Amino acid sequence: MAAAPIYLDHQASTPCDPAVVAAMAPWWTEGAANPSSRGHRPGLAAAAAVEVARGRLAQALAVPPEGVVFTSGATEADNLAIKGLCEARLERGRHLVTVATEHRAVLEPCRYLERLGFGLTVLPVGPDGLLDPDRLAAALRPDTVLVSVMAANNEIGVLQPLAAIGALCGRHGVAFHCDGAQLVGQAPLRPLELGIDLLSLSGHKFGGPQGIGALVLAPGVTVAPQLHGGGHEGGRRSGTLPLPLIVGLAEALDRALADAPARGARLLRLRERLRLGLEALGGITVNGALDPRLPHNLNVTVQGVDGGRLHRELRRWLAVSGGSACSSGAPSHVLQALGLSREAAAASLRFGLGRGTGEADIDQALAVVSRLLPALR
Amino acid sequence: MGLYLDACAATPPHPQVLAAMAEAQARFWANPSSLHTPGVEAAEALERCRQELAELLGAPGHRVVFTSGGTEADNLALLGLGRRLKPGRLLLSPLEHPAVAQAAAQLQREGWQVVLLPVGPDGRIDPTDFGPLLAPPTRLVSIGWASSEIGTLQPMAELARLCRDAGVPLHSDAVQAVGQVPVDLGAVPVNLLSLSAHKFQGPRGIGALLLAPGLEIEPLQHGGGQEGGLRPGTEAVALAIGLVRALALRLEALPREGPRLGACRDRLLERLLACPGLRGSGAQGQRLPHHLSLLLRSAAGVPLCGRSAVRALARRGVAVSSGSACSSGRSSPSASLLAIGCTAAEARSGLRLSLGPWIDDDALAPLPGLLESLLPTLPAADPS
Ligand SMILES: Cc1ncc(COP(=O)(O)O)c(C=O)c1O
Ligand SMILES: Cc1ncc(COP(=O)(O)O)c(C=O)c1O
Repeated sequence: MAAAPIYLDHQASTPCDPAVVAAMAPWWTEGAANPSSRGHRPGLAAAAAVEVARGRLAQALAVPPEGVVFTSGATEADNLAIKGLCEARLERGRHLVTVATEHRAVLEPCRYLERLGFGLTVLPVGPDGLLDPDRLAAALRPDTVLVSVMAANNEIGVLQPLAAIGALCGRHGVAFHCDGAQLVGQAPLRPLELGIDLLSLSGHKFGGPQGIGALVLAPGVTVAPQLHGGGHEGGRRSGTLPLPLIVGLAEALDRALADAPARGARLLRLRERLRLGLEALGGITVNGALDPRLPHNLNVTVQGVDGGRLHRELRRWLAVSGGSACSSGAPSHVLQALGLSREAAAASLRFGLGRGTGEADIDQALAVVSRLLPALR
Repeated sequence: MGLYLDACAATPPHPQVLAAMAEAQARFWANPSSLHTPGVEAAEALERCRQELAELLGAPGHRVVFTSGGTEADNLALLGLGRRLKPGRLLLSPLEHPAVAQAAAQLQREGWQVVLLPVGPDGRIDPTDFGPLLAPPTRLVSIGWASSEIGTLQPMAELARLCRDAGVPLHSDAVQAVGQVPVDLGAVPVNLLSLSAHKFQGPRGIGALLLAPGLEIEPLQHGGGQEGGLRPGTEAVALAIGLVRALALRLEALPREGPRLGACRDRLLERLLACPGLRGSGAQGQRLPHHLSLLLRSAAGVPLCGRSAVRALARRGVAVSSGSACSSGRSSPSASLLAIGCTAAEARSGLRLSLGPWIDDDALAPLPGLLESLLPTLPAADPS
C-alpha cells in the first residue's frame, strides 16, 4: 500500500477534532432521551443540554440564542434561509440577488425559486473574485426581498465585503443572507455587526461532526419552515434534535475560534510558502485576490497541462481538489466566473490547509508538483 | 438511575454502534464527494451502508436516500412525490406522527385533498374498507407501519398489495417499526419507507428514505447533488455507519428480543389491568412488542390527565410519555386516540410505556403499585 496522500483539502471537510469526539461521547448515552420529552427528567436534561449548546454557539457569534436554528448542515441552512425567507415575504416581492461564485447550496435554491416565477439576478464578480457593492446597489429593485452573498469563497477563499453589503441591504430593507460555511470557525464573525440577517454554517468545516449545522437569524427575521412536523426549533425546523451533534458543533466552534488568530497566522505563512514555491516552478498563476482571502486557501491554475491528467497524476500523492467537492469533477463555475476558460478551470488546484498541516506537508506537496510537472507538460 | 420506559421517543445507542462511529470518525471523515483517496474511501464506506441497509430491509433493489432523521424522510417522501404528481387525493392514516400529518397539511395547501382513513377501535385499517378508496382521484397513500402512540401494527402486506394492484404509490412511516418487528419490503410492496436510527439504538441525526426502483421524486433541498440529487448536503458517513450497525445488531437479536420484550410487556399489562381504572388502548395482538399504552381513569371511571401522570412518574424516576414526544409540548387531545373513538377527555388520558433491551421483569416490578398509588392524586382530564 502506498502512503496516504498529503491531505490539503480542509475546505471540503476537516477531521472531527478528537476533543470534539470526546466532548460528544457522554451525550450519546447520558443525554439519550428525546429533548422533546418534556414530561420526564432525562428528556428535560437533554433539552437543557441543547439550550446550553445553543447559548455557546450564540455567544460565539454574538447573537441572541433564540436566533439559532439547528439544521443538518449548511446546505439545509442555505435552503431554509433562501426558500424560507422568500416564502415568508411573498407579499413584499419576488426578486432575489446572488453572485455567480456562490456555492451550489445557494445557487440551486435560488434557481429553484426562479423556476417558480421569482426574478433572479446573478451578479458577476471581478477577476479578483470580489463583488463590487456598487453593482449590487444597481441590481436592487423595489421588489427585491433577499440578497445572498457568501462570506468566504470555498474555492478561491476570497472574502466578500460583508459590511458594505450589509449596510446597503439595511438601507433598502432587503434581507441579507450570508453563507458563512467557509468563514465561521476560521475568524471571528459577528453577523449582527455586519448587517447579516441570516447566516449559514456547517460543523464539519471547522473540526465538528458531519450532519450538523445551523441557520442563525437576526432578531425579527422569520423563515417559513421547509421541514414540517413536531414544530421543533420554534416551528422553524421540525425533527428530533441530535443532541450529541449539537454539543459537538458548539464545542468545535469554541475550539476553532480559541486559536483562530494564531492558526490563521501560521497557515498564512505555510500558504505563502506553498504559493511562492509553486510560482517558482513557472507557469502557475494564482486565482482570486490574495487579500482579502482566507489564510489557509490557495487556488492556482497550471498552464499548459490537461486538467484531467493533472488531477489523475497528483491524486496518488496529494489530496487536493479541482473545485468544490460537490461538483465532483466538473470544471469550476467559480473559476469560469473569474474569466478562466473551461480548460484553464479544469487545470486548477485548490489547496485547503488546516489544523493538521505542517511545513513538511507543504514541502512534500511542492516536491510532488515539481516532480510530476515536466511529464505533464 | 431511573427507569427509562420511553424507548419509542429515543433509545441510547448500542455500545458497538458508538465504537463503530468512533472508528468511522477517524477513518472516513473526508468528504465523500471528494475525488481523492480519503474522499473515495468515505464514499465507498457510504455505498456499503446504503447496500447493507437495503438488504437488511429485504429491498436490495430499492434506492436508499440518507436524511437527517425520520421527519426529513417523511417530508421528502410526501412532498417529494406529491410535488411530482398532479394534485389529487391523499389517503392518510389518522394515527400518523406530526412529521407525516404536517407534511400532508403542506400538500393540502398546495392543492391536494387529504382524506383520513377510517380505523377500528384497535386503530387498524380494514383492507376491505380501504380497497374501494383507492379509486381516482386517489394518487398517493401514506400509512404508518406502527403507531407511535398506541402501538398498533397495520396489515401492511394486504394494504400494500391493494395499493400495488390499484397502481397507487404507498408511503409508510416505519420509524416505530424498523428494528422492532420484521420489515421485509420483499414481501410487502411499499414504495416509499421512512426510518430513523435513534429509535433502534442508532445515532440521532440520521434516518433514511427507501424508494422502490423506478420511483421518481423531487428533492426538498437543492445544492451539490449528493444522494443522486435527491438530498444534497455533505453526507454524514459516521452516522450512516452507526445507523446500519445499529439495525444489523437489532435484527440479529430480534428473534429473541422481540418475544422476550413482548412477554415482559404482556406480564406488565396484565398486572396493570388488574388496577381499577386502567385500560389498554390500541390493538392487542397486532401491536409493537415493546409498546404498552393505557387510558387512565379514576375508580369512578373519570378520565385522568395523562400528562400529569407523566410528570408524577418522572418525580419518582420513571420516564414514560403521554403521546408522541413531539407533541408533548402541546396540550391538545391526542389525534390518534380521537381517531379510535375516544372522547376528548379520554384522548387526554393516554399513557405510553415503551421498553428496550435494558428492561426486564425485575425493573418493571414496582411499576403497577406505583401507578396505582398515583392515580388518586391525578386531576381529571380536561373534557374539551
Ligand atoms: C412514527 C414517527 N415518525 C416520525 C418520527 C420523527 O423522526 P425523527 O425524530 O427522527 O425526526 C417519529 C419520532 O419522533 C415517529 O415516532
Ligand atoms: C460555502 C459552502 N456552502 C455550503 C456548503 C455545504 O455545506 P454542507 O456540506 O454542510 O451541507 C459548503 C460545503 O460543502 C460550502 O463550502
